[in-house]
Amino acid sequence: MYDAASIEERHKPTVTLVNRGFANDTESAARSQGLPGLRYIPAAVPCEASIMADIEAGVDGALDDIIGALTRPLTPEEKSPGGREPEKPARVIFKGSLREVNRFLYQRGWTDGLPIIPPTEEAVAEMLTGTDLPPDHLLGKLQSRMGKATIEKIAIAGVMAGCLPTHMPVLIAGTIDLLESEPGFTGYTTFGFSTGSWAPFWIINGPIRHQINVNSSSGALSPGNIANAAIGRAMGLIVKNIGGVRQGIEDMGVMGNPMKYTSVIAENEEESPWEPLHVEYGFKKEDSTVTLSFPQTYLQHWPYSADAQGVLRAVVDNTPRGMRRTIIFTPPHANNLAREGFGKEDVKKYIAENKLVPASIMRRMQMGRPPLDYGSIPEKDDELVPMIKDRRFIRVIVGGGPGAFIAHCVGGGATPGQKETQQIELPKSWDRLVARYKNVVPTYAKY
Amino acid sequence: MSAEKSGASYEVLSPWSEADPIPLKGLAPRLADLAGKKIGLLCNNKRAASLILSAAERILKKRYPSIKTGWFKANTFSVSALEADRRGEFEDWIKGLDAIVAAVGD
Repeated sequence: MYDAASIEERHKPTVTLVNRGFANDTESAARSQGLPGLRYIPAAVPCEASIMADIEAGVDGALDDIIGALTRPLTPEEKSPGGREPEKPARVIFKGSLREVNRFLYQRGWTDGLPIIPPTEEAVAEMLTGTDLPPDHLLGKLQSRMGKATIEKIAIAGVMAGCLPTHMPVLIAGTIDLLESEPGFTGYTTFGFSTGSWAPFWIINGPIRHQINVNSSSGALSPGNIANAAIGRAMGLIVKNIGGVRQGIEDMGVMGNPMKYTSVIAENEEESPWEPLHVEYGFKKEDSTVTLSFPQTYLQHWPYSADAQGVLRAVVDNTPRGMRRTIIFTPPHANNLAREGFGKEDVKKYIAENKLVPASIMRRMQMGRPPLDYGSIPEKDDELVPMIKDRRFIRVIVGGGPGAFIAHCVGGGATPGQKETQQIELPKSWDRLVARYKNVVPTYAKY
Repeated sequence: MSAEKSGASYEVLSPWSEADPIPLKGLAPRLADLAGKKIGLLCNNKRAASLILSAAERILKKRYPSIKTGWFKANTFSVSALEADRRGEFEDWIKGLDAIVAAVGD
C-alpha cells in the first residue's frame, strides 16, 4: 500500500488487489501513509497462489470492483479527509488490583498474553535509574505507527516485562537498533511485520554480559534467567506498544514464532578462541553492544565428530536455506576448530564454499522468484551452485553449555556487521546499580 | 493474605506511545471511463502478484479492448524498496499512465 499511496500523491488513481485476510493490514498501512481512503479490493485470490484457475476466478469476480475503484467519483471524505487529533493517551491509564490491571492491559492488546508487572509510577521511576536520559527524551519514531519512542515508554515496557533497571541500557540500545535498522527490504520495516514470522534475535557482547547476568552457557535460549527472558520480552512490547505492530493487523506472520516472546543470548567471549562478534564488527572489546537479526528458524544438530571436519561437515549438511544466519558453536567445538587452524573467516568460507546444491534444486527452491542472495542459476540441472552466495551473510558466535549440539538461527535481517549492532551506553551510576541488582539470580536447591 | 484480598491497588502508566497526527491526504481524481486509457500494472516479486495482474490485464482488455497496459515489477517482496533503488525508472513509468492496478501477492 505504501506504493499505492505514493502513486496517489502523484495524482494517479490506484487500486490494490489484496487477499481478504490482509484487509486490516492494508487499512493500517493506508492510514499510516495519511491516505485512509486508499482504495483496495479484498479479492478471493489465495495468498501466494500459483493455480491460474483460482487466480482467474478471484480476479474475474473482482473486476467490477477494480473498475469501480478507478472510476467511481470520490466522496467528500475521500477528497478531503478530516484531520485527526494528536494521539496523546493519558499518562495514568488505570487503577486496580493486580488481576484487574493485567486484564485491562491485555484487553487493550498491550501485553504479549502473559501476565505483566504493573507499570506504576514507582516501578517506572526505579527502571529509569538505569539511564541518565530524561523520561521525555525522544529516541525517534518507530514504525509502523511512528510511535514516539521516549525513554519513559521504554521503561514502562521494561517494567511490564520484568526487567531490572540494569537492563534499561540494553533496551535503549535495542530500540535504537530498531529505529536505525537498514531501510528497505533487509531491515525491521520488512522483518518486523512480514508473513515470514521473523523474530528479533538479540546477541549481547562486552562486559555488560556479566554485570547483568546474561546467560551465554547452558540453556542460554531457554527460560530461567531474567536478563535473557525479560530483555527480549520488553523489546517485543516496545515493538507492539511503541511501534504499534499488532498480531494479525500489522504483524502478518502466518505461523508466528515462539522466538518472538524472547530471544536473547550473550556470546561466551571468555571461552571463545575467536574475536567476539562486536570486535569483528569494529567495536572495542571493552565496549558493550547489542546485535539484532531476524531469524525465522531455529535448529540444532550434533557434529559427525569433534574434529574440524566432523563439525563443519555437519554444519554444512544441516544448513537450511535462508538469507542471513547466525551459527552458534559451543566452546569445545570452537576451540577444536581453532586448534586445526580455522579462524572465524575460515569457518564462514568453508560453509559458503561447501554448501552446494544442484541447479535444478536451487531453481525449484526459488519458486520463480527473482534471485535474492543466491545470484543467477546455471542452465545445467546437475551443476552444483553455492546456496550461500556471500559469506558475509554468515555470523559465527560462541555460546551454549557442555554438550555437542550446534545451533543455527536462520532467516533475515540487516547485512551482518553494518547497521545491526549498537553500542550500549551506561549511566554514570552504573557501578552502584550493578552492585544493587547483580545478585538477583536464581539459587537452585539441591534435591 | 493475597494482594487481591488485601485490596492492594496499582495505578499504572500507559504503555501505548504518543504519535503525531499524520497529515491526511485526499485521493487522486478518478477517471470517467477506462476505455482508451493506459493502465499501469505494479507488482512485487511474490509469486502470485504478477499472475494476478496477468489475469487482471487479460480480463480488463476483454472488457475494454482499447486500453493499453504497462508493467513495473519490483525486485523484492516489499515494493516500497523499489523507489530507493529504481526511483528514476519508477517515476518515468508513472508519468505515462492514467491509472494503476497493484498487487502484492498476499
